[in-house]
Amino acid sequence: MHTAISSGVDIVLNSLVLGGVFLIIAIGLNIIYGLSRVMNMAHGSLYALGAYLGYTLVHSGVNFFLTLFIAPIIVAAAGLILERIIIAPIRGRPIVYTLILTYGLMFFLDGIIKYLWGTETRFIKLPEFLNQTVTLTTGVNYPLFRLAALLVIVAVMIGLMLFIGKTKFGITMRAASNIPEMVSALGINMKFVQIAAFVLGCILAGIAGVVAGPLFTVYPVMGHEMLISSFVVIVVGGLGSLRGAAVAAFLIGTVQTLAEFFITDFAMVIVYMLMAVILAFMPRGILGEGKFE
Amino acid sequence: MSSNSESLLKSPIRIIIGLVILGILFCLPFVLPNQFYVRLVNEMLIYGLLAMSLDVLLGYTGLLSFMHTSYLGLAAYATGLFLKHMAPNSLWLAILVGIVVVAIIAIPVGWVQVRTGGLAFALLTLAFGMMYFTVVWKWYDLTGGDDGLMGVPHPDITIGGWILGNSGNPIVIYLFSLVIVIICFAVTWRIIHSPFGAVLQAIRENEERASFVGINVHRYKLLGWMLACILAAVAGSLFILYRGYIGPTTMDAFAGAAVLMMVLLGGMGTLWGPLLGAALFIYIQDYISTLTEHWELFVGLIVMLLVIFLPKGVAGVSSLFKK
Repeated sequence: MHTAISSGVDIVLNSLVLGGVFLIIAIGLNIIYGLSRVMNMAHGSLYALGAYLGYTLVHSGVNFFLTLFIAPIIVAAAGLILERIIIAPIRGRPIVYTLILTYGLMFFLDGIIKYLWGTETRFIKLPEFLNQTVTLTTGVNYPLFRLAALLVIVAVMIGLMLFIGKTKFGITMRAASNIPEMVSALGINMKFVQIAAFVLGCILAGIAGVVAGPLFTVYPVMGHEMLISSFVVIVVGGLGSLRGAAVAAFLIGTVQTLAEFFITDFAMVIVYMLMAVILAFMPRGILGEGKFE
Repeated sequence: MSSNSESLLKSPIRIIIGLVILGILFCLPFVLPNQFYVRLVNEMLIYGLLAMSLDVLLGYTGLLSFMHTSYLGLAAYATGLFLKHMAPNSLWLAILVGIVVVAIIAIPVGWVQVRTGGLAFALLTLAFGMMYFTVVWKWYDLTGGDDGLMGVPHPDITIGGWILGNSGNPIVIYLFSLVIVIICFAVTWRIIHSPFGAVLQAIRENEERASFVGINVHRYKLLGWMLACILAAVAGSLFILYRGYIGPTTMDAFAGAAVLMMVLLGGMGTLWGPLLGAALFIYIQDYISTLTEHWELFVGLIVMLLVIFLPKGVAGVSSLFKK
């Protein structure tokens, strides 16, 4: 009986952790898309970059919690440079061009990651006290780090909600994603808002990378896998809808965790099938608030 | 802009250029010193057909498919499995099986993709492409998994009972591929420059206006998608006939990006551009991949440079000289 309860708890918590990582990435993508109409195909690579930076920093002796701040800042700096050099010049061109351009950027970044870190799988060494299991109830043990990761994800989400909902800049961003012309007419520098949104997305990707590194190990195609999963999340949630993305992230996280638990090999096929069925009946996402573009 | 009733054989200069190119292509296997080059040109033809099929989608309908190689791969697996397990010597039936299997898969997938819009369409092609890749990679008993599908028999190429040669012969399969690619090109050119093609281009230019004049946008997008997938399926059947082998890497994300690059390199929206782009790409790939293991990095870089500086590809350069 204990094993059943234990694996039940495992599945629920793992689903939350996986869904949380999906959500951080998907929200970053949605914010960038909402403000600059650029679907950043290289977002997964920035997430992978965060994980690899986390690996390098932790293994050169930096404290893990400090890494959680440093790595996203480096990713954001990289993102800022990429935005200025590569994405800004083609903003306003048909969406097909921005998609192809950032797809090229993805392969370029993946290539650089492989060049710098090689192709072998890396493991981020956790601090001793995080590297143990806790007993939730009798017979139900769970790795402490996963709980800590969940905590970080929740903290990031709350921080983001406060930022977008309460601060002046957050409100500007929301307004700008709805009616950019009006915001621009009010004397707000749209270019700055767009850059800030891109950098915010990069920070989120970086945090997700550092958190996910110890959870799922660090390997070259991790960015690409995450990119596709987050696309599934934002399309199922409805393009541009943050609430939809939240619902979809936990739905997809749960289904993927269950599928991986019961049928390891074809787990992702189940996820894509579910996606196809949902979209067949609800083409604008599960909450029906997706943009049609 | 080219007019829609444009004929392939419009001007005498065009006819002469076309005939010269065809003449060179048909003589090539008898002139080339090494069979390796015959195979290389054969690969250029097959990927050229695939790139052309993506151009129908990208250049004319304005829809993006990140993983168009999926449909080449699915057809190649279907054709290969049919030849291997059911009828090792029925060429035409095997090609038909490839096309039918792709059509059966592509209709519902296209239907779902089209209804979600243009951007989500592109994102979904990536998700579905990864799904096919996972299935092919993991379904070891059917596809051979990582090892790929090996030992596909080479059927004889027959027309109405006449045996023209065996597809295992590099020169025979080259000539066969060439004829099929020419037929596909002519047919696609005809379709694209018909009223149907004009509707696709109207959707590309402005979807909203197209729907206001009474065009069923979803239906036409789906038809454009099906045309692209069926052409890719023909390319897939040729692929397995020429190679006798296919592995899952033919269908991975990088292969999908490579086709995208062929279209960009040649110039989208021209049909002939992507054929040229494929030839260039395969030539460069053959040259560079022997020099560096970080091939992916260069592809990414070249794609970015093309989009920023040369969005119309080589075809765009040629039109610069016209004016």
